[in-house]
Amino acid sequence: MGTSSSEGTCSAISIEQLSMEFGDPGQGVKALDTVSLEIQSNEFFTLLGPSGCGKTTLLRLIAGFEQPSAGTIRLYGEPMQDLPPFRRPVNTVFQSYALFPHMTVAQNIAFGLEMRGLSKSEIGETVTRMLELVKLPDVGGRRADQLSGGQQQRIALARALANRPKVLLLDESLSALDQKLRKDMQIELKRLQSDTGITFIFVTHDQEEALTMSDRIAVMSKGRVLQVGTPTEIYEAPVNRTVADFIGETNFLAAEAVADGVLLSDGQRLSVAGDRRGAVTVAIRPERVSLAADGQLLGKVENVVYVGTDTVYHLNVAGEGGFRVRQQNRDGALSGYRVGDSVRVHVPSAAIKVLVE
Amino acid sequence: MTTPRLIAERRQLGRRLLLSAPAMLTLLVFMLLPLGIMFVVSILQSGDYGGVKWGEYSFEAYRNFFYERDLDDTLVFNTDYLEIFQRSFWLSILTTAGCLLIGFPTALYLALQTERKRNLLLFLVTVPFWTNLLVRAYAWMLLLRNGGLVDEGLQGLGITDTGLGLLYTNNAVIIGLLYTYLPFMVLPIYTSLEKMDWRLVEAAFDLGANRFHALKRIIVPLAMPGIVAGSILVFIPSLGNYIIPELLGGGKTLMIGNLIQLQFGSSHNWPLGAALSFALLSFVLLAMLVYSVRFKPGNAGGHP
Repeated sequence: MGTSSSEGTCSAISIEQLSMEFGDPGQGVKALDTVSLEIQSNEFFTLLGPSGCGKTTLLRLIAGFEQPSAGTIRLYGEPMQDLPPFRRPVNTVFQSYALFPHMTVAQNIAFGLEMRGLSKSEIGETVTRMLELVKLPDVGGRRADQLSGGQQQRIALARALANRPKVLLLDESLSALDQKLRKDMQIELKRLQSDTGITFIFVTHDQEEALTMSDRIAVMSKGRVLQVGTPTEIYEAPVNRTVADFIGETNFLAAEAVADGVLLSDGQRLSVAGDRRGAVTVAIRPERVSLAADGQLLGKVENVVYVGTDTVYHLNVAGEGGFRVRQQNRDGALSGYRVGDSVRVHVPSAAIKVLVE
Repeated sequence: MTTPRLIAERRQLGRRLLLSAPAMLTLLVFMLLPLGIMFVVSILQSGDYGGVKWGEYSFEAYRNFFYERDLDDTLVFNTDYLEIFQRSFWLSILTTAGCLLIGFPTALYLALQTERKRNLLLFLVTVPFWTNLLVRAYAWMLLLRNGGLVDEGLQGLGITDTGLGLLYTNNAVIIGLLYTYLPFMVLPIYTSLEKMDWRLVEAAFDLGANRFHALKRIIVPLAMPGIVAGSILVFIPSLGNYIIPELLGGGKTLMIGNLIQLQFGSSHNWPLGAALSFALLSFVLLAMLVYSVRFKPGNAGGHP
């Protein structure tokens, strides 16, 4: 499969106006609603969203397991949407790994290479190289079901990467692993991506995983892409309440924007720059604010939760409960605020995001 | 130190024996006992008008299987019975192959339908069981006979211009056996396909396998336990079938089943009938032995 244009600058995958509808046209369920995306070459790109947001459907459309209702998918400029999955230079790491149970590990990895008609010696070399790449050089002769979950995960990766795909698709690939293994694999995936130079498209519902690994993230909800950006952009400047709510913890306060700030429902005022007017939502991250005697926001302590590294204070602010303030336990001790205390919260103006929604 | 454990073990063994007693008893009464009687009959002298002469032992029946006695009492090698065995095996192999050829795609089609449609289709597969096999065999006689529906249909369509003369031939027997045992091929294959993880097929497509390769490398190997079970369920009863060759083969195409029936019927040679049954049984057991060695439990994929 030839690539006409230079791969350095061209989009690896370019998705235009892609829609996917299950059931009868017009009244079926819209799994994807006119999604457009550009994914760059050699990028670690993550599709992030809650279950049912359409991220897996999008991945399956790129792989070719589903047919879109409308729109185009281009891979390095070439339209893909009418090609069957076995003609697409993309490979998938499945959520369930989908290793062939009747074959050995080596036979699993060799499968794609055999389908491409490589010679026996080439296949043998590649299999050995792939097993070394995923740091499991000695398991080639074992059957897939004799491996642990983490090992199966690595073999699934090796099997997909053996074909040297232009784009590797990973469907919730780490969700079946335990916490410790998951952290290791996150680093491992990142290493593999930079070692191989292959574009990775990773699907997950875990925002921490997405923030840790991705070059860029697309946040999806209800079949739409809400925001595309680097992890920092997504976290620091969420475009709306849904994104802010899904990525990290956020406090939301109903407010009215006035000339030089916002007025909360009980008349408290927070100064923030901006030219918005009328009803708005104020988003404040719990770790950006602190309890301080000279704070500008007044609240009442409802609950104190000790979580080891931090203590989280749940406050009632402006008549609404659940406003969280996260304080690092630097001195290894509680600050001494108790339930029922009136406290002041210091809110730097940079910590205030005014959202219209 | 080990004594209390020994007692406990012995007690457990006793309980196991007690629990398995009904099954053991059933096997003994309905399986081993009749087989024993059959064996005794097979080594007795045949009675003049059927039955056997009790107390007069002879291996004549087993000798009869290979040799016949010439006028001057010398034994001459006789291949008649062996030919019937050979024909039975050949017809059963063709039947099994035919069932596999039709049954596998059918089962695959069934497994790929939505659950509601699947249940309806499965139900349809089992519909023939509602009618007695004898009635269905007579129905096939009407279909296959000269000037029957098959002949007339083909002539009406202009495909043939004379009668095919299908009835009372090996072909008619194969058609009848195929029809009778097809569900026994479809159902086990369907069962193994139905519980298959179809994401494996997606994975095969993803790795560059086209439909043919996915079928050959993934679907067929994973359906192998069903294919083997289906083949056994078709092959063994075909081998001993009696009604189909009798009716559709017109008694001209003898199979083992007819031969055995003949010995207990008009030939009045019970010992030979019993000996033939044992010969059949030993062939079947041999086949099962090969199967159990080749496909050990736990080796479900059946991969060499």
